[in-house]
Amino acid sequence: MRIEKHPILEFHKGRKIKFTFNGQEVEGFEGETIAAALHAAGVKILGKSLFLHRPRGFYCAIGNCSSCLMKVNGAANVKTCVTDLEDGMVVDTQEGKGVIV
Amino acid sequence: MKQAELVIIGGGPAGLCAAISAASSGAHVIIIERNKRLGGQLVKQTHMFFGSEKQFASTRGIDITGILLNELNKYKENVEIFTDTTVTGMFEDGVITALHKEDKYFKINPKAVVVATGAFEKALAFPNNDLPGIYGAGAVQTLMNVYGVKPGNKVLMVGAGNIGLIVSYQLMQAGVEVEAILDAAPKIGGYLVHASKIRRMGVPILTSHTVKEAIGKDCLEKAIVCEVDEKFNQIAGTEMEFDVDVMCISVGLTPLNELLSMRGCQMKYVPQLSGFVPLRNGNYETTVENVFAAGDTTGVEEASSAMVEGYLAGLCAAEKIGYRPDDFKERKLDYVKQLNDLRSGPVGRHILAGIEQIVI
Repeated sequence: MRIEKHPILEFHKGRKIKFTFNGQEVEGFEGETIAAALHAAGVKILGKSLFLHRPRGFYCAIGNCSSCLMKVNGAANVKTCVTDLEDGMVVDTQEGKGVIV
Repeated sequence: MKQAELVIIGGGPAGLCAAISAASSGAHVIIIERNKRLGGQLVKQTHMFFGSEKQFASTRGIDITGILLNELNKYKENVEIFTDTTVTGMFEDGVITALHKEDKYFKINPKAVVVATGAFEKALAFPNNDLPGIYGAGAVQTLMNVYGVKPGNKVLMVGAGNIGLIVSYQLMQAGVEVEAILDAAPKIGGYLVHASKIRRMGVPILTSHTVKEAIGKDCLEKAIVCEVDEKFNQIAGTEMEFDVDVMCISVGLTPLNELLSMRGCQMKYVPQLSGFVPLRNGNYETTVENVFAAGDTTGVEEASSAMVEGYLAGLCAAEKIGYRPDDFKERKLDYVKQLNDLRSGPVGRHILAGIEQIVI
């Protein structure tokens, strides 16, 4: 799902790094957000809604709508659409409102 | 607590231009930007700008940030930049609170503020509009143009304004199929030059159409579209199905106005400006003294007008706190003229009808 050739843009990808999503190893690039890396890996469902447990993906991708909240390295409610991916990150779908550590 | 002269909230086109204007007048400026880089939404705008030379017509949005940063760099002794920093509040006593990288919380007490927080994308109500695969058109633009990731394989674009048309074209540049563009209005809202380009590429633009329903188990799999009458009521029996895994919602933006409301600026709902906006004078100063606003937060328009508003608000805010350049009058008149020129077309007249309701 990555763009290979583009008429205007050149994508200078950072170093290839590894992280886990719900325990599974996934690859991404330094300099991209968690949500972008997950999307490139084919993951569109980032969480579940609080009451009806409907699937949630990102909507705005600029940190406004809170539709992309996930648990990252144990911390709840991380806006994955604006948070940079880091090597070795542990990313999980969040159940419920999340617990403040 | 940090003491400051001028704080500019938001490092997009309006905020950067406000900073250039104020810093070049001699004021010390602090820019606070929640993102990790400056430029706001210019970073994803691969299309060439309209307007005139002064607003970088024919330059791509992605290149404008660099031009503005070079200009700002000329006054770097007057500029302090905090990226990755979110303003969390503006209080009655003028104090601003901010959070840097989720762990460092600090307070600033400035003499004046320019709020240039921009706008955000609206959603559209229809059954299952929350399915993953349904995104704001700007979100898809960020994903593609900033991170080089395709949103999916087949897209239905909802909204034939400039953003809908431009993002459709950019999707095709990225190698993604656009099945159709819809708009509930009977006429295409965006510029004809964009619409013609899209049509030449074989993408139908269906006016007087809307989304009846989205269908999918965990992600979007299908969209049901139907015609609407002149009162925007859905017409039974006109349903069409599109097998798409992505739907882009491009039904406009609305100003990000929370900080202005919190500070106690008098706000008014103005449909032509797409939401609640602050009342202001000709210097872009709100009803709270020394609180200025510029760009989409004062009414949704385009980056071109946001830049000029930023220059004007930055100039006037600096003047208010004692930095009046010799050519103040000429510069102010020039910015006002540029804004009038940008608002001379039919869309501009609509915007002006909105502005009339908020200028005090």
